[in-house]
Amino acid sequence: MAKTKIHSDQKYIEGLAANNSIIIQEIYKKFVPKVVYYIRNNSGNQDQAQDVVQEVMILLFNQAKANTLELTCPFDAYFFLLCKRKWLNELKKTANKGVTINEDAGSISESAHELVEQTEEFNEKQQLFDTMFQKLGDKCQELLKLSFEIKSMEEVAEKLNVTYGYVRKKKSLCIGQLTQWIQETKNFKSLKNN
Amino acid sequence: MNEERYILFDQYLEGELTIDEKANFEKQIADDPQFAAEFAAFRTAQQQLENKFGIAAEREAFKENLMKISDKHFHKDKSKVIALKPWNYAVAASVVILIGLFFFNYSKNPVYEDFSQHEQAYFTERGNANTTLKQAETAFNAHNYKAAIPLFEKILKESKTPEIQLFYGISLLEENQYTKAKAVFEALRAGTSVYKDKATWNLALCKLKQKDYAGCKKILLTIPQDYEDNVEVQLLLKDLE
Repeated sequence: MAKTKIHSDQKYIEGLAANNSIIIQEIYKKFVPKVVYYIRNNSGNQDQAQDVVQEVMILLFNQAKANTLELTCPFDAYFFLLCKRKWLNELKKTANKGVTINEDAGSISESAHELVEQTEEFNEKQQLFDTMFQKLGDKCQELLKLSFEIKSMEEVAEKLNVTYGYVRKKKSLCIGQLTQWIQETKNFKSLKNN
Repeated sequence: MNEERYILFDQYLEGELTIDEKANFEKQIADDPQFAAEFAAFRTAQQQLENKFGIAAEREAFKENLMKISDKHFHKDKSKVIALKPWNYAVAASVVILIGLFFFNYSKNPVYEDFSQHEQAYFTERGNANTTLKQAETAFNAHNYKAAIPLFEKILKESKTPEIQLFYGISLLEENQYTKAKAVFEALRAGTSVYKDKATWNLALCKLKQKDYAGCKKILLTIPQDYEDNVEVQLLLKDLE
């Protein structure tokens, strides 16, 4: 794996993962006004801008926690692009009325685009996984939820009033079911791409 | 559905296979692309679940904090309506400080630092040749956890002993690497070594440091009475009341 250079703005990512209030405030102060300005100039209002920013922040938190977010460009460009694309998606959803996009021909680097794509992909995968999880039976959902919250399978067994052996086996099989679905979507995707 | 296979995957990930079984498993991964793909998908599912539920509490805390900061940022115009004269700020500030001082000693929640007097590590005897171990011991005892972590990782790669795992976990905890620390302590806790209860105690400290008081208490209550440092456990439990 080629290791690209990590930008010093990685501190924002780490700060988000650590739920560091000072860093979060700094992001709002430094980078959010530009987003608000953009959204307000493109058929949006202050409240909508607030929502978009919040959703993007939660998305960043999730990705940072999964340790898959390594900034290779300034946070500013990356964050702005993410918010902007999110807003344009929102507009598309409700876009029967004609919207005019005031495109600023800002120079956004290649790596920012790449990174944004990665984040969006991460988000899509997570959403896809959520749908799969919802497809599981109630028993599986409950058991998996407990297994990953509590971690100790002995405790899970106690809580569900079944044996340790049973929960272990059941957990494997529930994850197995998810595994099958993940593989099926992968095969489906590769069929589509070929 | 290939049930046996999924059970095997889980056992492998939980580190429950014998050395032979493990070697066999890894050989199969290398030789059989279909097996490898299936295992990769299994691991993806596992990671997604970890991300979905393993950090659910942290995510909630983050969201709550985020909302607060966000609201403050977006509605700051409102607060400007009550324009204070500069000296009012001074008065307001001193009142805040006074209130702060007044309540300071009464803050009910115990803090991690009061309970984090970790024991010293003594891995090596004088003249012991294993230098990584010595370095790790020195770093840990000097509270230089950041340096100790990679050393422990190196040692654990060679031989996994519960003792090293415990001190590795404590270092992670000190460096706020909660997810990793938690995993290490959970593993010890599920085992049968003499460090089982100590791991549980540190797991509780993990929660305490993250200010998850209910979670902390829940774990403390699972520590048996005959645990060597039961006094600490009881003290912390009392503080949590």
